[in-house]
Amino acid sequence: MRTFRIAAAAALLGATALAAPAHADVKIGLLGGVSGPIAAMAPAMIDSANLAIKQVNDAGGILGGEKLVGVVGDSACNPQNATDAATKAVNIEGVVAIVGPHCSGAVLAAANSVTIPAGIAIVTPSGTSPEITSLQDNDTVFRTVPSDDYQGRALARTLLERGTKKVAVAYLNNDYGKGLAESFRAEFEEKGGEIAGFAAHEGEKASYRSNLAELASGGADTLVILDYGDGSGLTMLRQALENGFFENFIGADGMKSDAPIKELGAENLETFLASAPVGEKSTSLDAFSKAFSDVGGDPSAIFVTTSYDAAFMLALAIEKAGGDKAKVAASLREISNGEGEPILPGEWAKAKELIAAGKAIDYKGAAGDHNFDEAGDVPGAYALFKVSGTGFEVVSEMK
Amino acid sequence: MEWLGFVNYAVFMAIFIGIYALLALGLNIQWGYTGLFNAGIAGFFAVGAYTSAILTTPFVEGRVGGFGLPVPVGWLGAMVAAGLIAWPIGKICLRLRSDYLAIATIGVAEIIRLVVKSEGWLTNAARGITNIPRPFGDLAYTMSQLAYLAIVLGVLLAAYLLVERQFASPWGRMMRAIRDNEDAARAMGKDVPYRRLEAFIFGSALMGLGGALFAHFNRTITPEAIDPMVATFLVWIMLILGGSGNNRGAILGVAVVWIIWSMSEIVTDRLPHEYAVKAKYLRVFLIGLMLQVVLRFRPEGLLPEPQKRTHRPDPATSGARPPAASD
Repeated sequence: MRTFRIAAAAALLGATALAAPAHADVKIGLLGGVSGPIAAMAPAMIDSANLAIKQVNDAGGILGGEKLVGVVGDSACNPQNATDAATKAVNIEGVVAIVGPHCSGAVLAAANSVTIPAGIAIVTPSGTSPEITSLQDNDTVFRTVPSDDYQGRALARTLLERGTKKVAVAYLNNDYGKGLAESFRAEFEEKGGEIAGFAAHEGEKASYRSNLAELASGGADTLVILDYGDGSGLTMLRQALENGFFENFIGADGMKSDAPIKELGAENLETFLASAPVGEKSTSLDAFSKAFSDVGGDPSAIFVTTSYDAAFMLALAIEKAGGDKAKVAASLREISNGEGEPILPGEWAKAKELIAAGKAIDYKGAAGDHNFDEAGDVPGAYALFKVSGTGFEVVSEMK
Repeated sequence: MEWLGFVNYAVFMAIFIGIYALLALGLNIQWGYTGLFNAGIAGFFAVGAYTSAILTTPFVEGRVGGFGLPVPVGWLGAMVAAGLIAWPIGKICLRLRSDYLAIATIGVAEIIRLVVKSEGWLTNAARGITNIPRPFGDLAYTMSQLAYLAIVLGVLLAAYLLVERQFASPWGRMMRAIRDNEDAARAMGKDVPYRRLEAFIFGSALMGLGGALFAHFNRTITPEAIDPMVATFLVWIMLILGGSGNNRGAILGVAVVWIIWSMSEIVTDRLPHEYAVKAKYLRVFLIGLMLQVVLRFRPEGLLPEPQKRTHRPDPATSGARPPAASD
């Protein structure tokens, strides 16, 4: 029974740790895939959300000068851990709202079994599945990242405009890759393009040469890789380059990662383009980029802008709602509906004054304006990026 | 309102423990009593979850179903489907000896996972199935959770009593005989392959039921839920730690592992931020360490298999085999 006693002791330890919550703080949950398949991306996303929290606290705190605290939970990119983390955040930590979870499956489970019943507003910075749109959520589930539907279609139109009429598509077999691939194919074929190869692949394999050879047999010289640039997307890109299967490579936001540049070298990536969401008002993006660089973050890492926006907007909404959990979701719509004084990332003191004066504000985020539609989704603003030096630079806007 | 939060959290943990306990009971039938090394729990979990989801969701375009049937029908269907899938698998794979069986079942679980992820007409592929009805899901948060907990506990109690009764019966003694000395059992005229198949199907049906309860609790099922880490190996750790061959041990193991896993995060959240994120990785390590410690110091688990149930005082055969050691 020794181990059982240790277990009981650990449980008691947990319980005593719970017994001393600091009441003065206003807490928001930061649920992310700290462990699990997106472990490489999650820390930067959590850091950028923490930047928003730090800015709030540096500029006088939230509500009556209280401290805003981010409680990190590990949703591990699966429903089991996501519901567990969300339950703890909502019930034990008493969070007012949640940024996250990161993966769509985790969002669906956590929203359905925890946050919707509890009436807590959540904003996911990276859950891109179209299924999130149709959640019966009493208007409590939002996202600062566009549904995959938008991006896939925008990418298809952009490629056709650039004169690429025939492509092969390789996509990671998860909700992200599949959602993108299907919307891309629908739009591309509808507008007169030809899909010469269309295949899913599993992540984390050592070799994709057979997949690539089969895709290349369709005769296209452009490969669209809908995958993550720090995972199997990188392997695929490397092997396609090494073996000369394709000449041009197109990725979506998941591929716009530093890993390919570091691993493959910018000189080998001249024919590589990636689409990614950008802020429509570039001043917003600049403000964020500067602030995030100042705290040692990398502003071009994936989903950091959406994570930051989610956290900052929730802070604004909490301020607007006077700290009332039940009103946060409604306030979230009020602080960013296209009407009122524009607020840029980091302008907390200004926003707080305007809210106190009862004036309307309109947050212009680093990743877009975030004027939510009825389902709590945002339309995407995308640009096509090319590799330049050690980073990415915009080639053209995408419509 | 602080206490209400504790209640909600405790009820949530209890529901999860109940669901995982069903998986552990299923595994206990297979490994604990019959010695079948099934490393494909996630596959049967998935079959159950998706079957019930397809049967009970309202009709949607683009995939099979939903048939909008009552939830109990979905749960029964989940057990039947998991059992039906287990039948041909068992028929082929159970001829393999234990470690080969483990490899074969891992493969089967991966096949099921890939089918689930790829066949959009059946499972809506990577996007998963949503709008799965939860019984009493329209009640307020706490009440709805309590109602679901009552259902899970009811199902678990029924499963526990039935499995216990089965093992106290001659069938249970026969299964242990087959596990401990297959040749002797065969010499006694027992149809060993058939009996092992029985145990494999019963266990898999329970795993399917666990999957169904999980899907209805979350009102959604996505392929991310059938990750082998959380749906197969975690269950193994729970059973080994609790004590394979003992149903109460299986349930205790589930409770201990889940409580430590879940509550350790609350403790690590008290650390300063930069450590709090790193400590999340430590939790994974903690579970592995726990398994190592148990295997080293208490290989029979917290509650070992009861040895005195049978009436034969035979030191030659009742003995030395620790259930945790793999052969």
